[in-house]
Amino acid sequence: MPRLLTIGATLLFVAAACGNGGSSTAPTVGPQGSTPAATAGSSTAAGAQPWVPDPTMLSAAVAEGGLTTIALPPSWCNYQDLLAGFTSKTGIAINNLNPDGSSQQELDAISANKDNKGPAAPDVVDVGLSYGPKAITDGLITPYKVTTWNDIPDSAKDPAGNWYGDYYGVMSFEVNTAVITTVPQDWSDLLNAPKNSVALAGDPTGSNQAVSAVWAAGLGTGGSLDSAQPGLDFFKQLNDKGIFVPVIGKTATVASGETPIRLAWTYNALADRDSLAGNPAVTVVVPKTGRLGGMYVQAISAYAPHPNAAKLWMEWLYSDEGQNLWLKGYCNPIRYDAMVTAGTVPADLAAKLPDSKGAALPSLAQITAANDVITKGWPTTVNVTVK
Amino acid sequence: MTGSVDRLHNELDELTRLTPHVRRDRPTRTIIGSWFLLLISIAYFALPLVGTLLFSLRDPGFAAYRDTLKDPQLYKTLGYSFLIAIITVIVSIVLLVPTAFWVRLRLPRLRPVVEFITLLPFVIPPIVLVYGLLTTFSKPPLALTGSSLGSDVLLVCAYVVLSFPYMYRSIDAGLRVIDIRTLTEACQSLGAGWVTIMWRVILPNLRVSILSGAFLTLAVVVGEFTIANFLARPMFATYLQLISGNLAYEPAAVALISFGITWAAMGVIALLGRGRREKINVAGAH
Amino acid sequence: MTQSPEVLGARIASRSGRRRFPTNIFGIVPFVGFAILFLVLPTIYLFVGSVQTKTGQFTLDNFAHLTRPFTAAAYGASIEISLVTALVAGILGFLLAYAVIAGGLPGPLRTGIMTFSGVASNFAGVPLSLAFVFTIGRTGFITVLLKSIGFDPYSTGFTIYSKIGLELVYLYFQLPLMVLIIAPAIDGLKKEWREASENLGATSFQYWRHIALPVLLPSLLGSVILLFGNAFGAQATAFALTGGFIPLVTIVIGSQLSGDTLGDKNLGYALAIGMVAIMAVTLVAYSWLSRRAERWQR
Repeated sequence: MPRLLTIGATLLFVAAACGNGGSSTAPTVGPQGSTPAATAGSSTAAGAQPWVPDPTMLSAAVAEGGLTTIALPPSWCNYQDLLAGFTSKTGIAINNLNPDGSSQQELDAISANKDNKGPAAPDVVDVGLSYGPKAITDGLITPYKVTTWNDIPDSAKDPAGNWYGDYYGVMSFEVNTAVITTVPQDWSDLLNAPKNSVALAGDPTGSNQAVSAVWAAGLGTGGSLDSAQPGLDFFKQLNDKGIFVPVIGKTATVASGETPIRLAWTYNALADRDSLAGNPAVTVVVPKTGRLGGMYVQAISAYAPHPNAAKLWMEWLYSDEGQNLWLKGYCNPIRYDAMVTAGTVPADLAAKLPDSKGAALPSLAQITAANDVITKGWPTTVNVTVK
Repeated sequence: MTGSVDRLHNELDELTRLTPHVRRDRPTRTIIGSWFLLLISIAYFALPLVGTLLFSLRDPGFAAYRDTLKDPQLYKTLGYSFLIAIITVIVSIVLLVPTAFWVRLRLPRLRPVVEFITLLPFVIPPIVLVYGLLTTFSKPPLALTGSSLGSDVLLVCAYVVLSFPYMYRSIDAGLRVIDIRTLTEACQSLGAGWVTIMWRVILPNLRVSILSGAFLTLAVVVGEFTIANFLARPMFATYLQLISGNLAYEPAAVALISFGITWAAMGVIALLGRGRREKINVAGAH
Repeated sequence: MTQSPEVLGARIASRSGRRRFPTNIFGIVPFVGFAILFLVLPTIYLFVGSVQTKTGQFTLDNFAHLTRPFTAAAYGASIEISLVTALVAGILGFLLAYAVIAGGLPGPLRTGIMTFSGVASNFAGVPLSLAFVFTIGRTGFITVLLKSIGFDPYSTGFTIYSKIGLELVYLYFQLPLMVLIIAPAIDGLKKEWREASENLGATSFQYWRHIALPVLLPSLLGSVILLFGNAFGAQATAFALTGGFIPLVTIVIGSQLSGDTLGDKNLGYALAIGMVAIMAVTLVAYSWLSRRAERWQR
């Protein structure tokens, strides 16, 4: 426990250095173990300026009295620093709803609270790419272009500004090295893994992370961005060989050795590695082939009770400082390439990011097609034996 | 069905009155069997808890527990959940005891309908329930979701609905074993009004039923996640979810701690609810 | 002198000077009002959604979907697991409740078991499934213990990631629920009846056959129905343990309504209506069973 205390103390120090106050919903239990240690002040680096909110926007936002976010787990992409940082820089308290919510739940929260300006109505959402266009069709979001709009790649944003990519991760192997001695380096290695060792992080009929894992497996074994069926075939093989464990892999099951190999986004796997801090030791491997990137997008609710606070929040997220905080959480921020060119990415943070060169970022159409194939094909193709 | 069970009760009471009364203890056979069953049950219930405990201790030096217990949010959300639970139980009792009583007494034909309604919460997924509630109550004239207090009211009402199956079933079972017709008639012939009948005669007889229903409701409310989440209230289950994130040992510790705290709370309620366990016996008065 | 309920009812009604049927209904107005506001309205919402397409047009396709092999299998699995756990927990729970209430065990044990049952009946979801994984999962401490003395439970083909495993886990909240629900009824079995029957020379079997079981039967049946409904509607535990790999209706509904992969909400609603229909059928079966049991009592 000394290491936990050290991490905790460092975090407190960083928080104190950045300003007082913090999100009222950020607990003191989790964060102490779940963020990397001792990188105080690394959110600013040579060339990167700390974010200064525009005064007009700031006063309009403060007047609204708060900000309501939804489905932002503090340990996901280092959201806890982003939430705390926003509050300390603007003085606006954040009400974080349903931290473990799914993209669908976020949109549902908007539509269910259309006439409600109370604490249950979210101002901003962070959803999977497929949900951006869906939200436009359903009339749930409103356009806004941040000041750094031009740094966002065209393929990652809606031209009218309704939604815009925020970060992405790459599908990786999270391996408990206390149990697995030969760490798999690629998808084909998984076929030689010990029995009952590989699990998904969700249900492939409902979880984006799980569907992406199946898709990525296909990419590494003959599939492509336009064909997701090889992924299903791969998992059928895995299941037939008895290597697949039909349970949702969680940090706890990786740690206990029940699912020593878990397929998850890099940022989740790395956050696990840090939080377990060697007890047991976890390695995160980005497979040599079959690198699939998964992108999430931001949007402002069309029924936001605090529209100005929402816009200010977006400015924060897309500022250099905000983007680097995502980087600290092992997520590739969407402005990464532009920032590297401008020299605003701290070298130590960049080094922490796993090598994900060549990761494929699928288009909307490809995602929809793959989703369809995998969610419908999983029950029939993989066919886990049910006694 | 009610009629025949009531008749059985009355016949049995008659028979008992006519039979010479000799106290007997339980035969040894029964006692051994009871102990055996009890021990097996204890083993079944204890083992998974032991498993969780052993796992949580993999974080050396009780670190998982110390970190958890240091967090003020744990106590805040647990306290809030208990408060909501107690209010829910009270509202549930006030709503369901007179209803069950009235249905048994005057509207026996409606019993299946009422039973079906009380079983509906099982089959309506909480997610749908909460969407339905949000949609109905976020617009005027029934706008409740605009304020914290309104959301709390909505939360309690939703939980009262969730408690229907357990509370109603418990109360109904309890009412079944009291001869409410005779009791009511006797009370009315003595000049009692409905409130007196409910408060001084029926409720005390339902002590066991209400307690067992209350336990269940309490546990339901403290453990409920979906509705609390969507109504954005700081309940315990949402807190548990929040800290689970990428952690392994702390959630296990929290699960055990909350189990222990809830159990202790129920113990307190049980002690408070303990009283003279007399059943008012009218037919065949000794 | 006992009178038939109908005569008694008439006496009470005439004594209080009221006409019978119309005003009696008002007694349940608060309940019905509450149920309408907080239960029926959401159900209507459900129903309306189930007969619409994504764009709001009327359709019965969602219900047609229910007959497809995957969803039919989901219903089958849900019903099977619910039935098995309801019956097993019904029997064991009844025995346990009887043991602590009327089985000659020390008094404080009863309070302990009752309060524990209150907590355990709601110990579900991720914590419960993880608890079982830590205990009898492949790396669970009991599994490891058994392996060290030479017996590997997994070599028999048993796995916790199966219907049997799920049923075993479901028992953890089904059993306590039964104990709590049946307790008032067992309490109602007067001690004096047992003593009187023994004094008259009846055997234990005769006591049960002619006195205890007939009195308890309605409560027992009703409790089993409740247990069935409880298991039928359970989602969090099954999802956590099986990860959706064993299709159950509640999990499929969850994927459609709140997944991350563009589910079909209207289908989800139709599935839920299917669940309501099954519960209705169960209740009808219960009424029929009750009436038959009544005949058996004679």
